[in-house]
Amino acid sequence: MKIQTNVNNLKNYRIYLQVEKAVNEFLEKNNYLKIDLPVLSPALIPESYLEVFETEFRLSWEKTYLPAGREKLYLTPSPELFLKRLLAYGVGDCYYLGKAFRNSEPNSSWHLPEFTILEFYKIGVNYLQLADEVLKLLQWIALATNNKTISFEKWEKYSVIQAFAKFAQISQKELFNPKEFIKKAKSKGYKIKNATYEDLFSQILAAEIEPNLGKNGYPTLLYDYPCQLASLAKLSHDKKTAERCEFYINGLEIGGFCTELNDVKEQQKRFIDQSLIRKNNHLIDHAIDKGFVEVLQYGLPDCAGAGIGFERLVMIFSDETSIEDLKLITII
Amino acid sequence: MRINAGNLKKGEFVFFQGEICQVQKADFYSPGKGSALMKAKLKNLISTKNVEYAYKSNEQVEVLDVASVEMQYLYKDKENLYFMDERTFNQSSLLISVVGEVTKFFKEGEKMFVYMYNDKPLTIRPPSSVKLKIVEAEDAAKGDTVSGAKKPVRVETGAIVMVPIFIKIGETISINPETGEYTGRV
Repeated sequence: MKIQTNVNNLKNYRIYLQVEKAVNEFLEKNNYLKIDLPVLSPALIPESYLEVFETEFRLSWEKTYLPAGREKLYLTPSPELFLKRLLAYGVGDCYYLGKAFRNSEPNSSWHLPEFTILEFYKIGVNYLQLADEVLKLLQWIALATNNKTISFEKWEKYSVIQAFAKFAQISQKELFNPKEFIKKAKSKGYKIKNATYEDLFSQILAAEIEPNLGKNGYPTLLYDYPCQLASLAKLSHDKKTAERCEFYINGLEIGGFCTELNDVKEQQKRFIDQSLIRKNNHLIDHAIDKGFVEVLQYGLPDCAGAGIGFERLVMIFSDETSIEDLKLITII
Repeated sequence: MRINAGNLKKGEFVFFQGEICQVQKADFYSPGKGSALMKAKLKNLISTKNVEYAYKSNEQVEVLDVASVEMQYLYKDKENLYFMDERTFNQSSLLISVVGEVTKFFKEGEKMFVYMYNDKPLTIRPPSSVKLKIVEAEDAAKGDTVSGAKKPVRVETGAIVMVPIFIKIGETISINPETGEYTGRV
């Protein structure tokens, strides 16, 4: 890897600053507390698909290779573990706008291993109510940057069921039956050897559905994911879907939000499931943040949370198609 | 050669659903929640259609071992481009629809590299730059001094290129055939 300087991107970088300012203004105006957080942590939430950066704390005067004076630390892939702690302690509506790190994500038009994340939580609302707030945030940024290329007056909405039926010709019955879904994927030419339901869901979503989203002049909201893709979202009453959504502009996923799971037992179960997938995929065996589960026993208030890839958000308002076009310095 | 799909690159050739395709675009993509993918745009070299596909980044993909052979571009008709291997005098043809937009910058008699697989031509390796003479151009209008202003000109292959207004008829310019952009005076 090397350091690349791109001063030609100054114009876009100024838009980056405008969007950052607008986001801070909007969230402060709506009484969210901005939180500064560490990016190094001794333990993390297990997330099945995210590889992490591992480093260590060491005492320079300890010359041995014994564990004494050394401790493993991880760069946080998202601020969720810290923000949810604070929510359980009663801090109220809050947000983080800062660095996050995801290993094994090579530079591409849409990824940088070190990126900026906007994550915010609102108490007492569900995922669809938070969608209204996100839309207002987008309207506020469009006003601040004077960008009129896309209208944020409303969402174009598709449930995951509707989107799979319309764009991938996969019926609701097939979508909710992993065996049938895998069979359907095979008939479409996907390789099913060593592929899980979740893998094939992501592949079909990326190849056949996403290119159609956010293309009609409005951002698209894709909502109600099958329970296997719940992540840390609360399940709906029938337990078939999770109260989770993602939003897209011009075919690109910009961010997602969900009604946060606050059932401790269910949370523990998902941690175990996710850790197992991590192990099977040979991902770094990081310490699991047990304190996070303990804190949740005191009770995470009913809330919804949103995570937005900040650079991707800026790409929309600078009419760029690659993250690198926003950066003055990139490590490639 | 088998590789992980995560290492797939633009320009490589793969088998997709039993047919040879060329990778037009390959970008790493990881959904916020979900497996890491390689989003690819593949051009089927038989039907000439593009297809969007998402590989798992750790999925094994067979990349074809192709040879690139220098040939002379002879001429084209409505559908095909014709080439000759100057060492063997063997002639090959390729569909214009397979090679794509770059063909409008090809000059008869020029040497080019043709990708071959099992002795069959697949497509062209586009040159990074072509040099072509301007055969039609309007003079710059007086007072038209806006910096960066451009005008359309016709080059000897018949293609239209946008060039800076100071460029005149009869001059030779270099063009990036993949983007169709003017890159300089020769």
